[in-house]
Amino acid sequence: MKQRALWTAALIAALALAGCGSASDSNSSSGASDGKLVVWDWKSGDATAASYIEKAKADFAKKHPGVKVEFVAQPFEQYYTLLGAAIQSGKGPDVMLFNGGGQIRDRVDALLPLDQYVGDDKQRLAGWDAFTKDGKTYAAPVTLQGHPIYYNKSLYKKAGLDPERPAANWNEFVANCATIATKTGAKCFAQGNKEGIGIQFFLSGLGSGVLTPQEYDDWIAGKRNWASPNVKRVFALWKEVNDKGLNNDGANSTAMFNDAFAVFQSAKAAHVIGLMSDIGHWKDFAEFLNAENVGVMTSPVVTAGATPSLPYDGGIGYAVAKWTKDPKVAADLVRSLTSTEALKAFYADAGAIAADTTIDVSSAGPAVATIVSETKDGKPALHVALSSKTVELMGRLSQQLLSGSVTVDKAVEELAKSDQAS
Amino acid sequence: MPGGRRAERLAPYVLVAPAVLIIVVLRLWPLLLGVNFSFTGDGARNGIAVGLDNYRELLDDPLFRTALRNVGLLVLLLPVAVAIPGLLATFIYFRVPGHRLFRGVYFFPAVLSPVIVGAIFNLLLAFDGPANAVLGGLGIGPIDWLGDPDVAIFAVVGVHVWATFGMGLVVFLAGFATLDSALVDAARVDGASLAQTIWHVIVPGLSRTIQFVFVTTMIGLLTSMFGLLYIMTSGGPEGSTYLPEYYIWIQQGQMNRPALASAASTALFLIMLVVGLLQVSLLRRAGRED
Repeated sequence: MKQRALWTAALIAALALAGCGSASDSNSSSGASDGKLVVWDWKSGDATAASYIEKAKADFAKKHPGVKVEFVAQPFEQYYTLLGAAIQSGKGPDVMLFNGGGQIRDRVDALLPLDQYVGDDKQRLAGWDAFTKDGKTYAAPVTLQGHPIYYNKSLYKKAGLDPERPAANWNEFVANCATIATKTGAKCFAQGNKEGIGIQFFLSGLGSGVLTPQEYDDWIAGKRNWASPNVKRVFALWKEVNDKGLNNDGANSTAMFNDAFAVFQSAKAAHVIGLMSDIGHWKDFAEFLNAENVGVMTSPVVTAGATPSLPYDGGIGYAVAKWTKDPKVAADLVRSLTSTEALKAFYADAGAIAADTTIDVSSAGPAVATIVSETKDGKPALHVALSSKTVELMGRLSQQLLSGSVTVDKAVEELAKSDQAS
Repeated sequence: MPGGRRAERLAPYVLVAPAVLIIVVLRLWPLLLGVNFSFTGDGARNGIAVGLDNYRELLDDPLFRTALRNVGLLVLLLPVAVAIPGLLATFIYFRVPGHRLFRGVYFFPAVLSPVIVGAIFNLLLAFDGPANAVLGGLGIGPIDWLGDPDVAIFAVVGVHVWATFGMGLVVFLAGFATLDSALVDAARVDGASLAQTIWHVIVPGLSRTIQFVFVTTMIGLLTSMFGLLYIMTSGGPEGSTYLPEYYIWIQQGQMNRPALASAASTALFLIMLVVGLLQVSLLRRAGRED
């Protein structure tokens, strides 16, 4: 009897141990075993990305018929948390999707430089800078992301303004807004700063109209002069726009995604600094306002000597992990994921400005055509050049600027400190 | 039979081994790893011992200080969060008209997920939303519920209390079932007012229930606000609604600072340890009174 109890206990203990063992085993499955590549992203689960993934897979299968590719779609809110854990353990996907800018630059320690593999794509694709750190390229761009200023042409028409000739300088722009407000009741800007995102779009959307070209290029190159009066002017302008009532009410409690865009879509505001890809962009707006009513303008000139341009970067791109077994094969998968055929499908279905500048977009309405034509003279967005820590701080300070609990000087001073520390 | 006796001696250890192993391997060991990890650096200093640098950084970070201050605020608001279900349960016990309906209605929000509750109140409390429309109708200026740093934390806590007081209410109602109704009747006969009845009869009679609700409400406030915060304010405005959990998540997931997040987790663990021990002693004392 006792003997039996002992055996039962031993059996339970053994089972428990086996259970633990198998639980830890399953984690290592993604370590690039031969003939299989694991890709992490937050896109491949979307129905709109299905044909993109299919085209990319087909292209890759032509080059490496023996290699299986497994796409694992993670929820975006959790993506960098999960990825962080994978990187920490040194095991994880072979190929992974990244947002350009801080998100990838913070994690290049875990990534493989791709320069020797993607040389042939450098001309065809745009937006490489967002995936580059210290002269090395860590991912190939899939989409372009940027911040065009969208405007509602039908509100311009109702207010008696020429919808094809948006304001070229700031005073004219404010005067137009005043006209629109009296004639239609619509606000000037749809603004959402609940998550602190409003200031990012504002800084990048209007920055090229405030900073001189030299200051702009220096900012992107990392030589940011926070003491410059023009840099201060951007943040003063942010406050001024809100104080003058040009924003919708309650900007600090309006979410950019998607309440602020909803304000613009319902014609309660004439302008919004939106995105080029994924969401809050030409395709979304056209569904509500019709494609011919969605206009795109560059920043009005705020300080003399500024040359406004479209702010944009590589939006998302695929990178290769350092621990992948055969870097060449993984890099080939990245190349397939950025092939013209695949990107064409992505542009058409998902509503994104693809990184491939050779794709014909003339059928999608005037806004897209304007955006694509402006990419030639476009420059990287100002906020993307900042570290994620500084961007987070900027979000909080921007809310304080709107509520009046911090001065522009103090805010810029704190940003300078954070920027120089990182 | 020495072998049999040894087996007999070992049997209890073998029997508890699975439970102990699970706790040690899946709880204590990761906990120790996490604490150990909090003494290493992030980014370029990954894996290098940095002593107390992370903890120093935490104390210097105004966001983390705000998060700790908000924990203190939650503890201060705890009596309110307990009083609300207590009072409502009292009214139901006294059979106010419609008490059957209220019993069901009050419990209803407790079955909604925080995400849904947050989304509902995002709409209700929007600057141009219904709450402000009602206030406007009364001639009171709009309040930026989720955009004013002095108001937002109270708005979120208020919504949390609204969403969860149903549980406390049910516990209180169960407590009332054990209350000797003769005492309440005697108080009434003696001419006690409602307030006097509550203070002198119901509160002493339900002291164990009240303590239990205190403990569970405290746990709820400290551990399950993340969903609401994430949906309603994202820690804003101006970082005023940060709680340690949210801070940990931001540092680990958004800022790529896992070691700093581990330090914050360790700090939160210590706070919860103190709170937990206080609660255990409170419950033990309450148990001894009977």
